Amino acid sequence: MTMTIGLQATQPSEAIVRAASAPRRLRVLRPLLGLMLPLSLAMAWELVVWRGWSNGRLVPPPTRVVATIAELARSGELTRHITATLIRVGAGFGLGVIAGTLLGAVSGYWALARRLLDPTIQALRAIPSIAWVPLFILWLGIFETSKVALIAAGVFFPVYLGVMGAILSVDRKIVEVGRSFRLSGPAMIRHILLPAVLPAYVVALRTGLGLGWMFVVAAEFMGASEGLGYLLIDGQQLGKPAQIVAAIVIFAGLGKATDWILELATAPFLRWQDNFSRQDLSRQGGAG
Amino acid sequence: MLALQSLSKTYPNGVHALELFSAEIRPGEIIAIIGGSGCGKSTLLRAIAGLDPASRGTVTLDQEQITAPHAKIGIIFQEPRLLPWLTVADNIGFGLLEFPAIIRHNRVAHALARVGLADKAEAWPRELSGGQAQRVAIARALVPRPEVLLLDEPFSALDAFTRKDLQDHLLDLWADTRPTLVLVTHDVEEAVVMADCVLVMRPHPGRLFEQITINLSRPRDRNAPMFDTFKRHVLNALDRSLDRTVPDAQVRPEASGAMWW
Repeated sequence: MTMTIGLQATQPSEAIVRAASAPRRLRVLRPLLGLMLPLSLAMAWELVVWRGWSNGRLVPPPTRVVATIAELARSGELTRHITATLIRVGAGFGLGVIAGTLLGAVSGYWALARRLLDPTIQALRAIPSIAWVPLFILWLGIFETSKVALIAAGVFFPVYLGVMGAILSVDRKIVEVGRSFRLSGPAMIRHILLPAVLPAYVVALRTGLGLGWMFVVAAEFMGASEGLGYLLIDGQQLGKPAQIVAAIVIFAGLGKATDWILELATAPFLRWQDNFSRQDLSRQGGAG
Repeated sequence: MLALQSLSKTYPNGVHALELFSAEIRPGEIIAIIGGSGCGKSTLLRAIAGLDPASRGTVTLDQEQITAPHAKIGIIFQEPRLLPWLTVADNIGFGLLEFPAIIRHNRVAHALARVGLADKAEAWPRELSGGQAQRVAIARALVPRPEVLLLDEPFSALDAFTRKDLQDHLLDLWADTRPTLVLVTHDVEEAVVMADCVLVMRPHPGRLFEQITINLSRPRDRNAPMFDTFKRHVLNALDRSLDRTVPDAQVRPEASGAMWW
């Protein structure tokens, strides 16, 4: 009997300790889990080249890529190229988000505006990005304006579609709560529509940002003299695969970093969400 | 006085949901509206709320015609409809946005205490049980101190125990300021335990079939023989309302005498 009581007394506390430490462990392990696949592939390729099974000329091993990045950093070129690309993506993303948000909100809120605008915008959305390049160069010149415009066009469409779709899918019942409390139009937008569309808006922003990074490459192919896209072209023309892979790796790192910053910046506004990932994590935490 | 005068509602798709519904509801009275599916109960409630005005007829509250949501009328829906991005306290204070912060804070704190959720003030709606969420919805509707509170099957999604608990709790809250309550329900026991008067509706189109006054003292004992008698009477009226061979009853506002047979 005493044994039984003793066991009952210790078991819950162990379970609580396990449950409490599990989320902490997860928080540390989760980013490492994401790095496992690329690091394993890189190490495997390094091994292949080191063992002489491949000369690594066209697909350079990670050490050679890292050395190239270090060399570019030492000469100051890396900072110059990254800065140029970041400024273009930042400006294009900002313009695309402003235009996409405004037009998406107008189309979502007013049926007449939607009927007027949406068919044209959807038709424009179907045009491949590369098709805009010659026209933008003709209209806006070869310098920065055309590059920023191309990136903004890439960002605009997912943001527009995300905002419009989010407004259209706001739960009628929630809107009715606002109506029953006699909210005015602006108050309805502020207290009901904006918070309701926020989760979908964040997804649209992240999709837009991803497309912004894709479009910056196309933009920097348009006769740029600096930027990560220029490094790609330069590497191709001078036969420097390590420089091409280095630029690709930096693109991936910057893209992931900016997406992470966006996710982090918007997370405090979405704490209220009752979604799958939250349930999933709490279940994992509880299981220990 | 809440006066419903010959309310009719035909939806754009041609469905004739409500036909010449009239009633006069005194201040502080609790009215239950009961009837089979599709008899226009919710349509009637939405018309009173001003959310979906009637095609014909008028709703007047203290001689003022109601054609849109009104400050004196609150509504509680079947689902709690809490705003998921607001905490429990902010949800309760949602109807007080135009009030100064201090008044809002005081009234919300009082309401939280009255519904027994003071410890949940900063919780998110997702962290509440169904019963707790409906308590928050009740507090949200009562905090602006409406003269008329409409309830559209507010407890129908809850288990029997929570339902009974919330019915008692609502009556307790009602006693604070005694607003007029108009309760739409499917539950005969709920109608008899809460209402001063039960309006039985019949469908196709929705219209008033019978008016039954429940003259039992409060608090009502659900196990009392008279309670059971009233339940049977309402059930009987419901059965007859769904029988197409039974003609529309002559509705008399003072039909309570019929109960003492």
